Amino acid sequence: MSKTILTVDDSASMRMLLKASLTAQGFRIEAANDGRHGLERMSEVKPDLLITDINMPEMDGFELIEAVRAKPEFRGVPILVLSTEFSDEKKARARDAGATGWITKPFDAAKLGTAIRRVCP
Amino acid sequence: MSDDLDDIQAIFFEECAEGLATAESGLSAMAAGDVSAKVIAGVFRAVHSIKGGAGAFGHVALTAFSHRFENVLDEVRAGRIAPTPGVTRVMLTAFDILSDHVAASQGTKPVPADDAVLAALDQILVDGGAPDIVAEPMAVAVVAPMDDDPFGFEPVVAEVESFDPFGFEPVTVALDLLDDSVAEPVPWTVTFVPSNAALANGGEPMLIVRELEMLGGTVVAADLSRLPPLRDLEPEHAYIGWTLSLPGDVEEQAIADCFDFVAPNSIVEYARGVVVPEDAPVAAPVVEMLVATPIAPPAPLAVARPTAPPPASSPAARAEEHPEPVRAGEPVAQTIRVDLTKLDMLLNLVGELVIRGSILADRLSPKDQERVELPQLSRLTREIQDTVMSLRAQPIRQAFSRVPRMLRDLSVETGKQVILETIGETTEVDKGVIEKIGDPLTHMIRNAVDHGIESPERRLAAGKPVQGTIRLSAEQKGARIFVRVADDGAGIDRARVRAKAIEKGIVAADAVLTDEEIDQLICAPGFSTAETISNISGRGVGMDVVRSNVEALGGRVEISSVPGKGTTFTMVLPLTLAILEGMIVRLAGQRFVLPLANVIETVQPEPGQVRPTTTTGEVIELRGDYLPVRRLTRTFGLADNDALTPEESLVIIVESETAGHVGLMVDTIDDRREVVIKSLDQNLHPIRGLGGATILGDGSIALILDIEALVGPSAPLTRYTPKGLAA
Repeated sequence: MSKTILTVDDSASMRMLLKASLTAQGFRIEAANDGRHGLERMSEVKPDLLITDINMPEMDGFELIEAVRAKPEFRGVPILVLSTEFSDEKKARARDAGATGWITKPFDAAKLGTAIRRVCP
Repeated sequence: MSDDLDDIQAIFFEECAEGLATAESGLSAMAAGDVSAKVIAGVFRAVHSIKGGAGAFGHVALTAFSHRFENVLDEVRAGRIAPTPGVTRVMLTAFDILSDHVAASQGTKPVPADDAVLAALDQILVDGGAPDIVAEPMAVAVVAPMDDDPFGFEPVVAEVESFDPFGFEPVTVALDLLDDSVAEPVPWTVTFVPSNAALANGGEPMLIVRELEMLGGTVVAADLSRLPPLRDLEPEHAYIGWTLSLPGDVEEQAIADCFDFVAPNSIVEYARGVVVPEDAPVAAPVVEMLVATPIAPPAPLAVARPTAPPPASSPAARAEEHPEPVRAGEPVAQTIRVDLTKLDMLLNLVGELVIRGSILADRLSPKDQERVELPQLSRLTREIQDTVMSLRAQPIRQAFSRVPRMLRDLSVETGKQVILETIGETTEVDKGVIEKIGDPLTHMIRNAVDHGIESPERRLAAGKPVQGTIRLSAEQKGARIFVRVADDGAGIDRARVRAKAIEKGIVAADAVLTDEEIDQLICAPGFSTAETISNISGRGVGMDVVRSNVEALGGRVEISSVPGKGTTFTMVLPLTLAILEGMIVRLAGQRFVLPLANVIETVQPEPGQVRPTTTTGEVIELRGDYLPVRRLTRTFGLADNDALTPEESLVIIVESETAGHVGLMVDTIDDRREVVIKSLDQNLHPIRGLGGATILGDGSIALILDIEALVGPSAPLTRYTPKGLAA
């Protein structure tokens, strides 16, 4: 059964790009346009993996990760950050919040797929 | 996929436009003195998003430029560089170049020269934007001894170029000392001891082991020494470590990649060498292990370290360093994106509903209408229709957003100083209208700066402030939108306009003209009073183009001017392009819709008033003038053409851009009403003069006449579409 991934990004083009590249690799993609919406959709979608941007209006990526991890049912869900940021400080902060990994934009579709399978086989 | 990608890219460019608008209003606010964290964060996020998308779509120049712009914004956001007027000025220039880069990525402009502004941005990073602001904290961070740092902040040194796009933390570095004499690559030995918390954050160390196995690895030892007695075992803790052997031909990077998402504080080692003996103390502390592990010569040197986050990431330090940006009340509209075709489908369906409603009303007696609550149903339907219309509406801000930039450019070109005042930019207008008023608006602004606002010297001489003011406003009145461009310049020089019009043969030398008529001459084709062809107005388009563009939208241009006080141009536009006010006319028993915007007057011809000519067919004599007359029944080849004499018909005088006033002969006028425009399917052969269709109250179809195509000499075929978006 194909894995379901929830992608959270405030940019529609980024959401569509993710959907196009990952659907082609056999994943089922759901999307949300900011952290708050992402948190709502978590309960509804119950994804196998959450991929989130960092810089978003209405609850940024860090806040979203913390909020997701605060819910017992999502403690084991892998979370990947997909951001143009790459400072070690931000990565450490994401890690502390509960992220499983960090992928820097722009992404290569094949590499993204490999990275995803690394946490969500 | 490539089509998809184009679609997605188109959305990306829309986002760029929104981002640029946000960035510009933020930077303008900063220039005006509002340097609140909220404003700066908004600008940062806009530029950041453009960078992200640009990278994804492979726009190298745009990515590179936005990245360097973002670097400065990030420093300003973090409070390390003060947003002084000087810094803000550089950022405004950078913004202009960023807009040009976006345009270049779309292929609408050449790639801009950005060296100068990049140098200025880099200079800001070096000196904080002004010589008097010493970049103390930055300098100290690099040179000062670490003990002085209250947060134990560790400067990041020289690791930037080894940045791994996927890595959470730089992992183990293995030095490969093999030389050419070694024929067979020595197998890898990989040791992986997940940290205790490796199962937190959705991590699963076994996945890493499996991935190593996929590379051809074999687990040669499992270290169970940390495994506690069952009663102490925490199900969410990791206790087991592994040693694996991998074939020598596996690339080092492939192994490193497996540890992309390894949990912090895990032990990861990999080196070429023989397999560690089974009883090796794998779980011993790292430093000891390095000493204790016997490694066969030529000894590959393994440098291992726990992947601990730098001390800088202690929560207290971070909280101090990066206070949470305030997010409440940000001026970001809460929106969802809907495919426009879905919206138009909805609009069409609601249109049908309205029509079915009127059919019902036609068929039911007033009493029956009441009985089935038809009036209530109609009211609801109308409300739904209004709501759906409003969904297509967008703030006119989008059309206004490029004006500040343009004014800055114009100020530089002309040496005139102009202040922009914007009023009513939240006024909502149909998307189709917004897309089409950009060009007219641009010309009106150019015209106002070039011809309206006087030079600084002349303004001073006239006792006016040196800076001219252009007020850009939008307001809705009824079903019309009024967009005004008002300047406080010299006003229209009517004597000169009149002289010019006579010189150009636009009016007769002895014509008696009112002030309003003289003002309107500005919009006459071929009219230009600029004494020198300036860079601005002399681009081959003038106010006549503005007028024809606006009229093509079903609007009109009004001009009012007070000598010495200024001139106001007003575009009066329809709220929507999906509904048309039309006159229902009948031709040989069929009904057609004639757009009311084109109609000047209707005439019931007297005998002899319509007469044949040898060349153009027929003319109508009207108050001493002769206007050409078209019999539409002939034009469309309807069966019983010429069944009626001119005296039994009506002549509707319409105005067209290309052909001026023309009379159209129709059998009769049925009604005047708003109709919902339906596009003609693309699979229907286009017929000149028919622009679309609508469904009337009785359910019958009426075709909508396209006056320009009908009476113009060789006007291109156009189609009305409900979207009003036909390019």
